[in-house]
Amino acid sequence: MVERFTSKPIELPPAGHRFARADLLFYGLDHSGASYEARVFLDPRGVGGNANAEHRAYVGSFYILGHGGCFGDVGHCDIPSARDAFDLRPAHQLEPALRILTVTDAVRNLLERGIGEAKVTVTAHAVGRAANDVLAFETVRLASYG
Amino acid sequence: MSAGTPQARGLAPHALRHRRDARQLTTGQLADFRRAITATQGIGDDRGYQYWAGIHGLPLPISCVHHRELFLPWHRAYLYLFEKALQDQVPGVTLPWWDWTHHGGGIPDAYAKRRAEGRKNPLFDSPIQASGRATPSQRRTTRSPGAPGGLPLPGQVEAVLKNSDFFTFQTQLESIHDGVHVWTGGTMSDIATAAYDPLFWAHHSMIDRLWYLWQLRHPGGGVPAALLDRALAPFPMTVRDTLHVSRLGYDYAAATAAAPGPGHG
Repeated sequence: MVERFTSKPIELPPAGHRFARADLLFYGLDHSGASYEARVFLDPRGVGGNANAEHRAYVGSFYILGHGGCFGDVGHCDIPSARDAFDLRPAHQLEPALRILTVTDAVRNLLERGIGEAKVTVTAHAVGRAANDVLAFETVRLASYG
Repeated sequence: MSAGTPQARGLAPHALRHRRDARQLTTGQLADFRRAITATQGIGDDRGYQYWAGIHGLPLPISCVHHRELFLPWHRAYLYLFEKALQDQVPGVTLPWWDWTHHGGGIPDAYAKRRAEGRKNPLFDSPIQASGRATPSQRRTTRSPGAPGGLPLPGQVEAVLKNSDFFTFQTQLESIHDGVHVWTGGTMSDIATAAYDPLFWAHHSMIDRLWYLWQLRHPGGGVPAALLDRALAPFPMTVRDTLHVSRLGYDYAAATAAAPGPGHG
């Protein structure tokens, strides 16, 4: 778990590619801990320091309502690594989440500046007095749609 | 919709109830709602407030569905059945919705005032049963709201409503939903305890209302067929049962009025 993360550069849509919408998709988000706001920045060099929502690279926030820890015995919150095809029980409560942030204008602005790739920086801001190291996800993807 | 429903037979839905904006309740409507909440809070069995709040989170098992494909249907069933429990105490009462895009005052007065009608306001907070506490000291619900400007803006909601794909709509709406939980803070900010706060029900009625509005805008869209027969445990309902709020006996009409017709005599 981390409180901030900057991705490797992600290619923006090629010049001349017309799109009506662009989304950043965050796959495999953990939601086992404290609830938090994730502020997302899109910038060619990434964003450092204490960038806030006033920063020019800020493209929006997504939110996670967390479980606030495990209330069961040992193993209760372990997500099964495999699932029987005949298992009709609901998925484990902590199966990872997906968040979709629409960033159409931000991507267009970068392209207009002649920028071909950008890093995604995410900073986590946990609720109340909880520590901010609540951020964990598998992949971030930029998708544009015609 | 089955052939037996009032709408299918072209008859007026006599029993249809309206969920109303929490800021627009009449004095009598608010008093009835408070009376229903108070009555359920006084019941210790499976008709009572603690039982219903506990289904969402603690005590284990945590049954709510978050961050998965049945988020909206599960919570629609949950609200429907809790509303039925309230109606068992005060017939005709419905869950109000909290329009948090109306930034005038953050939490509506009906829920924000410690006292109402000369006594403790049952919508301000609630006890948490011992088995429902995340920590032993957590005896009552609390809030720690942010500034009203931190709540979702109408434009953000509008952008989400424009999605034509159900899963994208649901995922983006759930993020807004999560943000309001985070904004409210305190008990509402953890899945395990959130439903003990009376404000939870108004927040989720707003989410359910937005799904309803999305359904009106996208009549051809909807929950994929593969999910329609999925059970919404522990409720005796499937996803299919949640698709039409009129079949569940309520709607979110912004305004409604009626007059009797000539009848069939």
